[in-house]
Amino acid sequence: MTPLIEVRDLHFQYEDGTKALDGVNFTLNAGETVAVFGANGSGKTTFVLHLNGILGGQGSVTVCGIPVNKETLARVRSKVGVVFQDSDEQLFMPTVLEDVAFGPLNLGLSPEQAIAKAKTALQQAGMEHALGKAPYHLSAGEKRRVALAGVLAMQPEILVLDEPTTFLDPPAQRNLLHLLAGLPQGKLIVTHHTRFAASLATRAVFFEKGKLVADGPVAEIVQRFDWIYPALDAADLRYSAQRRF
Amino acid sequence: MHHVLMDQWSQGASPLHKRDPRAKILALAAFLIVLATTAPNAFLTLVIDAVVLVAGILIAGLPLASLLLRAMAVLPFSLTFGLISWLAGDQLRALGLVEKSYLSTVAVLLVVGTTPLPLLLSGLEALGTPRLLVLVAQFLYRYLFVVSEQAQHIRLAAACRQGIERRRRSGFRAAAGALAVLFARSYYRAEGIHRAMTARAFSGKFALLRRLQFGWADGMFTLAIAAFLILVRIQ
Repeated sequence: MTPLIEVRDLHFQYEDGTKALDGVNFTLNAGETVAVFGANGSGKTTFVLHLNGILGGQGSVTVCGIPVNKETLARVRSKVGVVFQDSDEQLFMPTVLEDVAFGPLNLGLSPEQAIAKAKTALQQAGMEHALGKAPYHLSAGEKRRVALAGVLAMQPEILVLDEPTTFLDPPAQRNLLHLLAGLPQGKLIVTHHTRFAASLATRAVFFEKGKLVADGPVAEIVQRFDWIYPALDAADLRYSAQRRF
Repeated sequence: MHHVLMDQWSQGASPLHKRDPRAKILALAAFLIVLATTAPNAFLTLVIDAVVLVAGILIAGLPLASLLLRAMAVLPFSLTFGLISWLAGDQLRALGLVEKSYLSTVAVLLVVGTTPLPLLLSGLEALGTPRLLVLVAQFLYRYLFVVSEQAQHIRLAAACRQGIERRRRSGFRAAAGALAVLFARSYYRAEGIHRAMTARAFSGKFALLRRLQFGWADGMFTLAIAAFLILVRIQ
């Protein structure tokens, strides 16, 4: 069976000389949800921006059997839906309906078809009541749902979510978790939220200085890299304070 | 925010909102040409032009006082040039500058306030405006939100750290620094927005949910406005 995503020996360097990806190999199979962990600046976001051709490095990226290059961008972008960290960057049309229909219209659908897709996606995201609202009037959780609906309306086979829990309060995180768990697409979730990842992901990968250094079960990766919020007691905090001052 | 308010106004359902954007653009062009060729001391013509605008605002259901107040944004510029003309001894020209710039701004606000921007730009494109210009206008409008939002964040952060004592010199220095940061941050933010648009298959053309349809009512609207204004002008 063809993997949903296959990345081989991917290298990328920004114009200022920063080496962001250094020989990354990765595979996402159908039905899988993979958590992407790593420190800030380790190359996670740069990596996901290669999956629908926003960035193009050296090496090969294949999506649903289609090699990502200039000629295949439209097809690739209909397969990979990226939900960005800051929903405000994604929502820019005057109304929620117009924003969610933006992607389907770009794929060449008629206005009627785009509206139908947008309404279905909004229903899926539990935001059908907001279709006439202006995006800037929504709460952070609602904006995230609308941003997700905007991607779902394009009916992608793969969902890529960059820090989906950012700006969300715990109830909104819980709602998002339930929503994502019910979606059949293969998912790639870039996050620092290990509990959120553990609830959804079947496996995890870990980035370090542009390299994908580990791939395995979420619990194993979290433990191996000590990738969990520290529970410091009073003695620890006193020790840290003494060291600093 | 000014542009947020205009966005809200443009979502109305009045007879003016329902007109095809091309009809409104052509009527606006007729209005501006008539206004530009009207003598500054042709007060009756100018009053009738103003009445047409006020009638339009009322029919569209836009808040009259708010719109007229917003149009005053042009006055600092036109008053400056008007004052120069006045001091140079050309009082009539000075008067014309102020009158015409204000009425033109009200007319533009009326059209923008009754037409959602994507439709307005599609109308301009359909009337032959170069695509690149339309695209620049679209991005400019979109990034206004970005810049004003970033400016508000910076202002808030500065206010939080201002303390009790306010010094004018350090205030200016902080404002200059904030301006530089605002540009840099807006640039990165705008890049993010463009990236998000590209990810949803944006290829340089804004597709619309509503198709432009120039019906007979639109044609009649444009003709009636243009004919009335020309008639008033040549009387």
